[in-house]
Amino acid sequence: MSCRLVRRHLGAFVDGELDPASQIEFERHLEACPGCQENLAFERSLRQQTRESIGGVHAPEQLWGRTLHRLDEIDATRAEHRSPIEARPMRWRQSWPIAAAAAAVLIIGSVIGLPESTEYQGAGMLQDVVNLHSQALPSDVKAEAPQEVVRYFQGKTPFPVQPAQFEEPGMKFVGARYIHVGARPAAALYYNHGGRRVTLLVFQSPEIVQNAHRTHVGGRELYYHNVGGNVVTIRQHGGVNYAFFGDLDRPVLFKLAANARVAY
Amino acid sequence: MRRNSKKGEVERQLFETEVRLYLDTLYSMALRLTRSPVDAEDLVQDTLVRAYRFYDRFEAGTNFKAWLLRIQMNTFVNRYRRSTRERQVFDGPMAVPVGEGVMSRASMRALTDPVGDAQRRLIAREINRAFEELSDEARAMVLLADVEELSYKEIAEVIGCPIGTVMSRLHRARKQLQGSLQKHAVQLGIIEEGDEDLDDPIPLEAFRSRKAAKS
Repeated sequence: MSCRLVRRHLGAFVDGELDPASQIEFERHLEACPGCQENLAFERSLRQQTRESIGGVHAPEQLWGRTLHRLDEIDATRAEHRSPIEARPMRWRQSWPIAAAAAAVLIIGSVIGLPESTEYQGAGMLQDVVNLHSQALPSDVKAEAPQEVVRYFQGKTPFPVQPAQFEEPGMKFVGARYIHVGARPAAALYYNHGGRRVTLLVFQSPEIVQNAHRTHVGGRELYYHNVGGNVVTIRQHGGVNYAFFGDLDRPVLFKLAANARVAY
Repeated sequence: MRRNSKKGEVERQLFETEVRLYLDTLYSMALRLTRSPVDAEDLVQDTLVRAYRFYDRFEAGTNFKAWLLRIQMNTFVNRYRRSTRERQVFDGPMAVPVGEGVMSRASMRALTDPVGDAQRRLIAREINRAFEELSDEARAMVLLADVEELSYKEIAEVIGCPIGTVMSRLHRARKQLQGSLQKHAVQLGIIEEGDEDLDDPIPLEAFRSRKAAKS
């Protein structure tokens, strides 16, 4: 075992993250090598000094109170929406096995923000969907090679991602990137429809169709949430969600959602 | 999943109790990420609002602290970091490789055994300065590993990357911190002038002599 190897992985050694066999080899080397011992002493000392210098920050007194206040607001919103939501016939969908519950979410119209009084369930995620569209984060993979997109998402998302395909000639795939919706890993796929930006978010969340309205377009079952003047439209397929945003008319996006080839 | 008010109350209490333990951690992390007390408070609040909304999705028995930190990292990336800057963070400065031998032996000795409180304070200030110069990503690594002492597995969960990536990013972050410390150590008098000339940069020299000895 060389000093070079030991010193390269001294950090992991101090962290106790080496496999047991290496750990023993490292210890054996360190016993016999004053140079590496010195490095080890330094590594440990700097670690401790870093912890003391940078850590130990306390949250301001008022932060907890403010946080509790915001939690109160959530509780109030939940209470407000509890009864009408639970009376809806859509509740049975909750019993779907997760694997069977895939959703495609279409947000339609110019997205400005979520009003207070949309359905609560999934509101956090809907909010994310809206935010992620309006932020228009840059693509990590470009549209030229769809296989690149598939590869890009391998190991990032727990489900395979490929750009959804559309019969509509005006719908062009632009690029994609890895992102989160709620705490879930998600794929953001960017499209352009006649000069208008459309975002498609792909993620797993059976909850997003809870309490959604239901409709049929072109023989396809769609769910949707009213989001202010706009609509989040959900189509379920194969355990994964697809979320579109764009300044398109509602029927146009309904049709896009219904006709999209999300798996092929 | 049905949330009657009784269950809601219990859940809220449980959430409060669990979260309270990590408020300082979250704030400390947020402050170091945003570099602004106001933004840090906002970030923590947004994080906890999110965590509360998604609380029923937290898997009991898994690491709650890592879960919270992950939400906070995501919130930070999604909301507080401008998209252009975000790309710089991951593709820019951090992409520059760091040499192995960043610290002279003299600097190492001086930093290993600081003499007296004055020197301790000086070093603490230097560490802070060096830390602040790091990229968002590198700061996050140092915070999670060296300050919060999370395991690599937990860090991987928080950052959302493989453990191998944690190891290399962490290594790079620490080397950058050390390099920055070294750069200032001499001029601040932590290390006596001229030391650098007398001392070999550790690894390179050592490797070479070893190599030479072998061949």
